[in-house]
Amino acid sequence: MSTKTNKKYDIVIAGGGVIGAACAYFLSKEKDLKIALVDLKKPGNASRASAGGLWAIGESVGLGCGVIFFNRMTMQQADATGEDLPPMRPHVLPDYFFEFALKSNAMYPALWQELKDKHGVDFKFEKTGLKYVMYDEYDKMYADSIVDHIPGLIDQVSWLSAEELAEDEPYINKKSIGALEFKCDHQVNPYRLNEAYLEAARQNGVELFLETEVLSIEKRGNKVIGVETDAGFIACDTLINAAGSWAAQLSKMATGIELPVYPVKGQIILSERLPKILKGCVSTTDCYIAQKDNGEVLIGSTTEEKGFDTTNTLPELKELVNGAVKCIPMLNDLNIKRCWAGLRPGTPDEFPILGEMEGVEGYINACGHFRTGILTSAITGKLINDLYRGLPLDMDITPFKYSRFLKPKEDTSEDSKMIEDALV
Amino acid sequence: MTHTSPVVIVGAGTAGISAAVELAQAGIHSIVLDEAPKIGGAVFRGPYREAIELPHLDSKLRKKISNIRQQYHEHQAFIELRLNTRVLGPAGKSSLLVRHKEEVSELSYEELIIATGCHERSVPFDGWQMPGVMLLGGVQLQLKSGLVKPGQKMAVVGTGPLLPLVACQLFKAGVEVLGVYEAGKFSDFAKESRALLNRPVLALEGMGMLSYLKANAIPMHYGQGIVSVSGEGNLKKAHFAKYTDDWYPIEGTGTSLELDCLAVGYGFVSRNQLSQLFQLEHDVCPISGLKPKIDTWQKSSQENIYIAGDSVGILGGEGAMVEGRIAALSIAQTRQKVTSEQANSKADDYFTLLQKVKSFRAGFDRIGRRREGLLSLLKPNTIVCRCENVTRSDIDDVIEQGVKDITSLKMRTRAGMGDCQGKTCNSYCQDRLGHELKNPDVGHIKPRFPLDPIPFSALSDGVQL
Repeated sequence: MSTKTNKKYDIVIAGGGVIGAACAYFLSKEKDLKIALVDLKKPGNASRASAGGLWAIGESVGLGCGVIFFNRMTMQQADATGEDLPPMRPHVLPDYFFEFALKSNAMYPALWQELKDKHGVDFKFEKTGLKYVMYDEYDKMYADSIVDHIPGLIDQVSWLSAEELAEDEPYINKKSIGALEFKCDHQVNPYRLNEAYLEAARQNGVELFLETEVLSIEKRGNKVIGVETDAGFIACDTLINAAGSWAAQLSKMATGIELPVYPVKGQIILSERLPKILKGCVSTTDCYIAQKDNGEVLIGSTTEEKGFDTTNTLPELKELVNGAVKCIPMLNDLNIKRCWAGLRPGTPDEFPILGEMEGVEGYINACGHFRTGILTSAITGKLINDLYRGLPLDMDITPFKYSRFLKPKEDTSEDSKMIEDALV
Repeated sequence: MTHTSPVVIVGAGTAGISAAVELAQAGIHSIVLDEAPKIGGAVFRGPYREAIELPHLDSKLRKKISNIRQQYHEHQAFIELRLNTRVLGPAGKSSLLVRHKEEVSELSYEELIIATGCHERSVPFDGWQMPGVMLLGGVQLQLKSGLVKPGQKMAVVGTGPLLPLVACQLFKAGVEVLGVYEAGKFSDFAKESRALLNRPVLALEGMGMLSYLKANAIPMHYGQGIVSVSGEGNLKKAHFAKYTDDWYPIEGTGTSLELDCLAVGYGFVSRNQLSQLFQLEHDVCPISGLKPKIDTWQKSSQENIYIAGDSVGILGGEGAMVEGRIAALSIAQTRQKVTSEQANSKADDYFTLLQKVKSFRAGFDRIGRRREGLLSLLKPNTIVCRCENVTRSDIDDVIEQGVKDITSLKMRTRAGMGDCQGKTCNSYCQDRLGHELKNPDVGHIKPRFPLDPIPFSALSDGVQL
């Protein structure tokens, strides 16, 4: 293997998960830039352990991947204060996250067509809707509260009575009292989306350095000038940090600052291949359930801070299984084919970190997407492209910049205030 | 630390039972798990009922089958057998998740011996999925488990010492054996004769089998192999040719045989899914992809986990027996049931024998090293992964797209995503990608928990609400 690559690149993207791949695709659409993408498969790659839900509203109100996260947070809070467990309240994220998620979500139908037509890759976009299935009055209160929080999106939600739900989804527990459906929340096949971006980017001329490890970042003064890898030195003008759960180590090398990005483990369960048993995606307060394009039913997901550990553990799997069997009783007679775990790139406020860092030239963050990387990959790719080219941005990314963590103390208490809100 | 709990052994084949027997001799209890309904593993499983006679198996093999059962019976007081039991994977620290019928439970251990053996390498070629095409081990299993004749007119093709053995067994079972096709050249065998003489008795047995074949007019073809098979629904014809040094079929040298069953054997692959799930350290291995790292006492990178038998490198029954006993001796020593002098003096003989077995085996490994020509036996529409119906041309496409590792190949084609977790297709995918990239290190399909599908009910508290 050569120790020096001859070309100099405008951009090196570190990380070939769904975010890095999306950036590569959007930046390469004009085919005017020299771009390299460097990726090393490490255990726990979150894009491969995702459900592929495009649950723009669902995730923003704490359903889907968020349910277990917020269940646990509520319980921890109750433990800490010594109070009885309060009734669950939805954890609704701020408006700027809604905007981010909804804008991204709206891009998928056209993106799907574009990637199929221009590049011959199909990430299996499916219009499914997301149903929040309710079992009792507490679930109904929870749903009511969600609807109260999103007055602007009222045309995107609909209530299903028990009968309507039973008719629409005959395999869901007949004792459910109904569902709240988010009509614009759909699904894709997550690893196909990742591979589709990569293949389209490659067709657009992006050079893929796969199975290649970033060893260090070369700088001149405060400017990034290249990336040392085990496949040689790659010179570049700009480095994009899309390293997922490993973004902190990369930012440390590039900027001297360790981003507050850390792995949040999620275990998921996959059933054997089944005939169509679900029309739409489903979330309860126990888990989410999505039947994928090939018939397998995917159940997720735990939220655990266990460092880079990716083992499967029985108590957590049992919790997911119980949640799934409660929702779809027939699963009890079917088989689990696989379980695995991914590492979401978590941040303290659960929002991504996008854009430049003050004091460093030639460096852009595209990381920390926590539990919504698949959903928000499209808008992230577009924003990073527009930002790089100095084009007007589709939305203000100030709330997603690293500098938000540098604000004075009183402002950072917003986090705990949010939790408080969630507990009222 | 006082050790009272039984040693847990995964696999009741030669390695597992030998370990259990050696442990019993040191006064140590063990629990032996196996997915099969009988002990003996793939090599020495024997008939399902004792009453079944096996006249087509030679007396030595029959003796070995009864020998392993005999040993078990003599030490039964120390060995708890749990048959029809599958190991699904690790469950937290120092515990296994096991399934017996519909029941899933945890089994904790202080020391674990992994003796999971091997499975057959599947080499896809045009027509390989046709009914009537069988893997060599499957054929042998039928012969050993009773008197099932796999076919009436058969040929045996592939490489390795099992080829003439199975041909002899088939002939004795009354099958018309039309020929044996060994991909290795006769001159390769001659070159390796020194290595093969490490086990002179085995070498002589091999010679004996070859003269038996000759005496019964069963032709042994060296340097030849499979090209394709054909038939309508069922196997009718198999097509063979001379192979080049790289095992590409040479045009114009083809021959065809009319038959109803073909035994194909291109060697074995270690079953190391469990050692991988334990995240033990592994080395890259040209035969099985990965090979768990072990020390001279069969101890893995984890203090209390040992690996013995074909699951740590294909050596066959004799090697498995010795490795099982070495692992057991090491545990006996840790548990202070034998002194290190006792362990060492006993193990010395085992180490010597193991070395000879390894040298013998290395000869066959060199002759039977898979060559790139085998990759040329597929048509564009030949299925590679039968769980997910992935064809060669699907693989061609993603290689064209610049895929550089087996995980991306899997993600893009779904090869290896089926129920069998890539046991069938992984070998081809790995070889193919390695060949195209001129780099054998293309990563590995990671086994996932559970190693076998399990019912939701095994993990649920039943339907609630």
